[in-house]
Amino acid sequence: MSETTELKHATLVTEGIVTGYEDGSRPRLVGGYCPDCARWYFPCPSYCRSCLEPVQAADLGGEGKLHAFTVIRMRPPLGLPQPYAVGYVDLKESGLRVFCLLDPSAIDRYRLDMPLRLTVSVLGHDGSGQPCLRPYFSPGDHHEDAEKETDTGGGEVRDE
Amino acid sequence: MSEVVILGVGMIPFGRHPQKLLVEMAAEAARAALKDAAVEPGEVGAGFFSNGLAARLFSDHTIGQNVYWEVGINRIPIYNIENACTSASTAFCLACGQVAAGQVEVAMVVGAEKMYVPELGLIHSGQSELDTQLGLVAPAGFALRAKRHMAEFGTTEAQLAAVAVKNRRHAALNPNAQFRDPITPEDVLSAPMVVDPLTRLQCCPNADGAAAVVLASADFARWRRGASRGKVRPVDVRAAVYCTGSYANPQDLTHWETDERGCRLAYEAAGVGPEDLNVVECHDAFTISEILHYEALGLCPAGEGGRLAEAGETALGGRIPVNPSGGLLSRGHPPGATGAAQLCEIVAQLRGEAGPRQVPGARVGLAHCMGGDKAADSKSCTVVVLSV
Repeated sequence: MSETTELKHATLVTEGIVTGYEDGSRPRLVGGYCPDCARWYFPCPSYCRSCLEPVQAADLGGEGKLHAFTVIRMRPPLGLPQPYAVGYVDLKESGLRVFCLLDPSAIDRYRLDMPLRLTVSVLGHDGSGQPCLRPYFSPGDHHEDAEKETDTGGGEVRDE
Repeated sequence: MSEVVILGVGMIPFGRHPQKLLVEMAAEAARAALKDAAVEPGEVGAGFFSNGLAARLFSDHTIGQNVYWEVGINRIPIYNIENACTSASTAFCLACGQVAAGQVEVAMVVGAEKMYVPELGLIHSGQSELDTQLGLVAPAGFALRAKRHMAEFGTTEAQLAAVAVKNRRHAALNPNAQFRDPITPEDVLSAPMVVDPLTRLQCCPNADGAAAVVLASADFARWRRGASRGKVRPVDVRAAVYCTGSYANPQDLTHWETDERGCRLAYEAAGVGPEDLNVVECHDAFTISEILHYEALGLCPAGEGGRLAEAGETALGGRIPVNPSGGLLSRGHPPGATGAAQLCEIVAQLRGEAGPRQVPGARVGLAHCMGGDKAADSKSCTVVVLSV
């Protein structure tokens, strides 16, 4: 399977920002949380900006709501497709609003406030021409996915 | 702030200057400003040089010393300032601070940028930033704001286009503007789409350019004005505010807290409000930017910026003319020089020297600049209030 091969050979755009994608199960963003200050972060900083203590890595989930989106039609950077889509996504668990790529194959389907779920796949290159894994949001949520898996008899795969 | 004045300004026309080196462009603007101020090279106590891209494009560093020596200025402290689109206005705020503190009697700001080079590449907010690696190019951040503004307030594509058409109409009256041929709303809306909903004519063009400002203490200015028999015409600096982003999450994309905070701090420092302004230069990097800045500046209620532009209230002859120079959209946007060019325009307006684009009787003007994206916020916002 070429996709699996690509996943193995491509490097992640920035280390440590996603988890749960290696086995194709359920990708989630990884950010930070300071329990003392109750502050969430993405990406995870070294220190909490309130108390300057180290921040714990935190699973921010893979689901969100589309706050704003646009389609970039100019010559794309980093080998991204032309056109490609980006947006601000409000993450479900933390309430953080994060900038992210959107699935370029779904450009006509984006609507404000629609549910999105995270994918990690090869999208563009890393600046030196090597294929690069990037997180992006696609229309839909994991709930639909889980139902589909149940329908087809596929069990939920968990990563660790 | 204790009394600081602008004593002289100078700039070169923005556009393509393939035959000129960055240092030559900067020196030309610097010389013009010194002549305008009737200041000798040896009288300048501190020099600031602003530039955004030369380190990346030409591997040039500490360029300020080269520029100032071209106009005979040496020995004094020279500061090299990079702060994205606000490089020159940040340098101006620093220079004001030195004069206000009594550290120097005369300070100078020179900003220059050379962008028409084959290897320019895309403008973004730092190659190693995660957002950049996830495809955030400069127009996209503003396109996202535009889409929210349209959804929340009913702002239309025609209203966005009205900003570009108006600024081009102004630029036709400004020999220092890069693009001066009139455009229609149809031209704007049928231009190639860059990032939805912003077409190419809604995005500021690159430019080569340089602009310079000479500042002085009020005492020095009074003395110099007398010695020049009134030829030197100082303009008072009422406020020079520089603030950075809050980076709060979530950011409200249509009520830009950093923008509003910068404007409010400047009004407080100057002791004026939006109703006192006669003329404004603002950072119209994109059509939606100007609409957002109307609202941050309090020129209209929140959400009404599109309708303000469409009604012609910010055009020359309207209630509060904005970007009579043509703005970034038509003058062109060399980041290292833009902030100083805005001050050149406001000074010309307040001296009554703006020719066919003069706002009659302008006495209070404001120059507003923003730069850099970070966490859906801006990295810098400067607001300068001038008066005569």
